[in-house]
Amino acid sequence: MKSRDRKDLFPGALELMVLQTLRQEPRHGYALAQHIKRASNDLLSVEEGSLYPALQRMLRNGWLKARWGTSASGRRVRVYELTEKGHSRLTHEVSSFERMLEGIRLVLGPAAAARAWKP
Amino acid sequence: MTWIRDVFRRRALERDLAEEIRQHLDEKVDDLMLQGISRDEATRRARREFGNSTLVEEQGRDVWRWPFVEDGMVDLRYAFRHLRRTPAFAFAAIATLALGIGASVAMFTVVNAVVLRPLPFPAPDRLVAIESRDRRSSAPDTLSYPTFFDFRNRAKGLERIASFRTSSLTLSGRGLPIQLRAQIVSWDFFQTLGVEPVAGRWFLREEESPGARVVILSHETWTSVFGGDSSVIGAAVTIGGEPHVVVGIAPAGFNFPLHSRPDQIWTTLAHDASSDTVTPMTRQRGARVLHTVARLAPGIAIEEAHAQLDTLASAIARDEPDQNKNIDRTYLTPALERLLGQSRAAVLILWAAVSLLMLTACANVASLLLARTTDREREFTLRLAIGGSSRRIIQQLVTENVVLAGIGCAAGVAVAVTAIDWLLPLAADTLPRAEDVRTDMRVLSFAVVLALITTLLISAPAALRVARGRSRRPLGAGARATTDDRQGTRGLLVVAQVAVSLFLLTGAAILAATFVRIVERDLGFKPEHLMTFSVSLPSARFPLDRQVQFVDELIDRLKATPGVTAASGGMPLPLEGDEINVSFEIEQRPSAPSDRPHANMAIVTPAYFETIGTPVIAGRNFTTMDDETHRRVLVVNQAFAERFFPGESAIGKRVKPGATSKRDKGTVSREIVGIVGNARQGMLSLQPEPIYYFPYKQLPWGAPSVVVRSNTESGLEPAVRSIVAEMAAEVAVHDVRWFGDVLVQGRSAPQLAMLLIGSIALIALVLTATGLYGLLSYSVLRRTREIGIRVALGATQALIVSMVVRQVLTLIGTGIVLGSLAGIAADVVLRQRLGMTGPALAPLLALACFLVVLTAAFASYVPARRAAAINPTEALRNE
Repeated sequence: MKSRDRKDLFPGALELMVLQTLRQEPRHGYALAQHIKRASNDLLSVEEGSLYPALQRMLRNGWLKARWGTSASGRRVRVYELTEKGHSRLTHEVSSFERMLEGIRLVLGPAAAARAWKP
Repeated sequence: MTWIRDVFRRRALERDLAEEIRQHLDEKVDDLMLQGISRDEATRRARREFGNSTLVEEQGRDVWRWPFVEDGMVDLRYAFRHLRRTPAFAFAAIATLALGIGASVAMFTVVNAVVLRPLPFPAPDRLVAIESRDRRSSAPDTLSYPTFFDFRNRAKGLERIASFRTSSLTLSGRGLPIQLRAQIVSWDFFQTLGVEPVAGRWFLREEESPGARVVILSHETWTSVFGGDSSVIGAAVTIGGEPHVVVGIAPAGFNFPLHSRPDQIWTTLAHDASSDTVTPMTRQRGARVLHTVARLAPGIAIEEAHAQLDTLASAIARDEPDQNKNIDRTYLTPALERLLGQSRAAVLILWAAVSLLMLTACANVASLLLARTTDREREFTLRLAIGGSSRRIIQQLVTENVVLAGIGCAAGVAVAVTAIDWLLPLAADTLPRAEDVRTDMRVLSFAVVLALITTLLISAPAALRVARGRSRRPLGAGARATTDDRQGTRGLLVVAQVAVSLFLLTGAAILAATFVRIVERDLGFKPEHLMTFSVSLPSARFPLDRQVQFVDELIDRLKATPGVTAASGGMPLPLEGDEINVSFEIEQRPSAPSDRPHANMAIVTPAYFETIGTPVIAGRNFTTMDDETHRRVLVVNQAFAERFFPGESAIGKRVKPGATSKRDKGTVSREIVGIVGNARQGMLSLQPEPIYYFPYKQLPWGAPSVVVRSNTESGLEPAVRSIVAEMAAEVAVHDVRWFGDVLVQGRSAPQLAMLLIGSIALIALVLTATGLYGLLSYSVLRRTREIGIRVALGATQALIVSMVVRQVLTLIGTGIVLGSLAGIAADVVLRQRLGMTGPALAPLLALACFLVVLTAAFASYVPARRAAAINPTEALRNE
C-alpha cells in the first residue's frame, strides 16, 4: 500500500513528469513508465496503467502527438512526442510547481520542509 | 465543431489505446522473463503492476467524450431504465400525456385545415364579406339587389364586389334530367376571387342584362356530364327548359362559399331579372337574398371600407325608409371568418377545451414527477454532497422528462389520428373544409412543439426545486421531513385541475342538457314513414296554371299509389332549416311599413297538416275550396297566435301579409281561419317559432316540396320517380329524403359537440382524481412517522382521516369556486355569442360540483384509510 499512498502526490504530478521525460526524447508508453519509475527512484511507482488516461488527456489537449512506429526491439509501438504547446505547457507547469514548492518551504521552514520530505 | 470530429475519431482512438495496452503488457512480460521469471509469473506480475486494464481503457476513452451529449446519452439510458423499473408510474404518466397531447393534436389538425389555412385565392386576406345590419336586432343580414348595386357603384374602397345566392337548376336534354347545385352570381364573381377559367372565359358585364342566358360549369360537371369535351364551350345546353350558352369551365376543386358539396353550375343575376314575381327580384329593395364577397381596393384598410359602406347604408336608409329605415349599418368580415361562421367559434372553443385538458395532463404528470423528485431527494443530496452540480441533476431530470414527453407525444399522435378517423365522418356535413383535414407537416411540427412545451411544463416544478437548493439539506434521517408539508406547487396544481374539470363538466352538462331537450322536444309532427322530394318545374315550360295543375295531378297520383296514406305539398318543410321571413300588418293595429311585425311563412296544399301529422287545434284546416276564386285565408300555428294575439282568439282576425301573388296585384287582406300545432321548422330550435301558412293555390310561388306518408318505406322512391317521368320526362326529381334520416343527420352536430366535450370533461375528471389521489397518498407516505406518533399519543382514526382530508379541502374548495366562476362566464359568453337559448345553469353547475366533490372524496378515501390504519409501532420502526 506504500505506493498507493504516494500515487497522487499532487494533481498534475504525473503529467509534469511525462512532459519532462518526453522533452528529452520521444518514447512509447512502456519506455515512459520504466523511465519515470527509475528516474523518480520508485518514489512515484504508480500503477503503470494510470499512465495511459493521462497520455490520452495530454493528446487531447494537444500537448503531445503520437504515431505508430517500431521500437528498438522490433515491437510495434505508439511513440509520443512533445508538441510546441506541450513545451510551453511544461515551462508553465514547472514554474508554477516551483512557486508552489517555494510557498510550502516558506510555510514549513527549512527544517520542517526537510522533515516532511523524508519518507 | 471539434466534438463531431472527435466522435468520428473515437473508434480509431479506442482501437489504438487497446492495442497500446496489449503491447505494453507484452513488453513487460518479455522484460520480466529476461530476468528469469517464468511466463505465468511474469504475466501475473505484469497485470498486477499495470492495474485494472479495463478501467484504464475506460478512463482513456472518457478523455475524448463530449460531456453534454454523452451525459445526455447516459441520462437517456438511465431514464429508460428508470421508467422500466417503475412501470406503473411510466404507464400513468405516458397514458396521461398521450391523452392530453392526442386530444390537442387532433383538434389542432382540425383547426389547421379549417381555420388556419387561408382561402385558396390570390391575396385571400383582402377578401371580405359584406352584410347589412338591422338596427333593431343588430343581426347580420343578406342584401337586396338594389342595395348591392348601390354598394357596387358607389363604394370606392372596394376594388370589386360580387353577389351570389344559392339556387338549383335543372339540366335536361341529355338523358334523365338532373338537378344541379347552382349559384346565381353577379358578372365578376370569379374575377373578384381572382381565379382563372380552365377553359373558355368568365361572364361579361353585359351578361347581367335581362334575357342573357349564359352558364359556367364546374370542372366536375364538365367532366362527369360532358366528358370533359371542350366543344361544349360556346354550345347551348338546356337549363330550366331554356337554352343557355356555356361560356367557361371553373377550375377543379373550386368551391367558394365552402359548401360541403361544391356548386356545379353558375349563371348571372340575369336569371333573377326575369322572375315570376310582379317586380323582378333585382328591383325589390326588400328582397334580401344576396351574399356578397368583395376585394378591398389596394391600400384600403378594412375599417376604411367599412366606414364608406356604413355611410352608404345610412344614405339608403334615409332615401328608402319603407324598406330600409332600420338597415343603416353594415358588417365587414374577413371572407374566411364569415364563411366558417359558427364552425370557427366551435372549433376554437373545442381547441381551447382540449388545451385545458392538456394542461391538466401536464399538471398531473408534473405532480407525479414532483413526488418522485422528492422521493429521490436523498440521491440528489448525496450527489450534491460529493460535488455533483445541480445543473447536471437538472439535466438528468429534464432528459427523463424528454423521454416521457417523447413517448407520450408519439402515442398522442397515434391517438389523434385514430380519433380523427373516428370522429370526422360525424362532422363531415357540419364542418366546412372537413374533407381537407389531414395530418400534415404542420400538425407534426405542432406535436413536436407540444412535446417540448410539455417537457418544460412537467420539468419546471421539480427542476426549480432542485435549483433552489431544496435538496441541499443534511443527509441525516431527519431529512425525511416531518415539517415539509407545505405542498405549494402541487397544491396549486390540484386547484387548477379541480377548476378545469368543473369548468369542462359544466360545459358538457350544458351541451348534454341542450341535446336532450332537442331530442325530447315535441316536433309537432310525426316524422316516421314520412318521405319528401322536390321537383323543379322550369317556368318556361310550366307557366303558373300548368304548374298548379302539375302539382295537383302529382299529389293525386301519389295518393293512388299502393301503401301511400297521404300526400301533399309544402314549402318550406319542417326541419329543413329554410325560412321565408315576411312582414305583415295586423289590421286592428295598423303600423308603418318598417315597424310591421314579421314571421316565417309557409305555403301548403290542403292535406298538408294531416300528411305531416300536425293537429288542427282551433278553427278549420285548408280545403280544396281555398283557391284563387275564394276569399283569401291563412292558418297560423299556436306560437303565432300566442305571440301576435295574446289573450284573444286569433280566429277571424285579419292580416295583410307582404307576400303577394302575381294574380292579386298587390297586398291583400287575409282572414285567419285556423290554428294548428307547432311543427318545428328549425332543426335545433328549442322554442316553437311563430309561422303562418298560405294555401298553395292562393299563393303559387313555384312548385312546393312534396311530402308522402306511406305504410312501407321500400319501393316508394322508384314509384315516385316513375310517376314523375310519366308525367313529364324533363322534370328532375331531387332531394329525396326520409324524415327519420333528416332527424338523425340534423342531430349529428350537437351530438358531436356533446360527445367531444363530454369525453374531454370525463378524462379531465379522471385526471383530477388521479392527481388528487397521488398528492394525498404521497403526503400520507411522508407523514407516516408523524401519524404514527399521533396515533401513539391517542389520536382516533376519525381524527387522522380528518387531518389528512383537511389539507385538500381548501384546495378543492378554491378549485370549485374558480371553476364555477369560469363556468358562469362561459355560459354568459355562449348565450351571447352563439345565441344559444340553453337550459338553466344553476342545476347543471350544481350537478357538476357534486360530481367533482364525489370524485375528490373517492380519490381521498383510499389514502385517508391508509393513514387511519397506520400502526404506530411499525411506523416508528420504519425510520
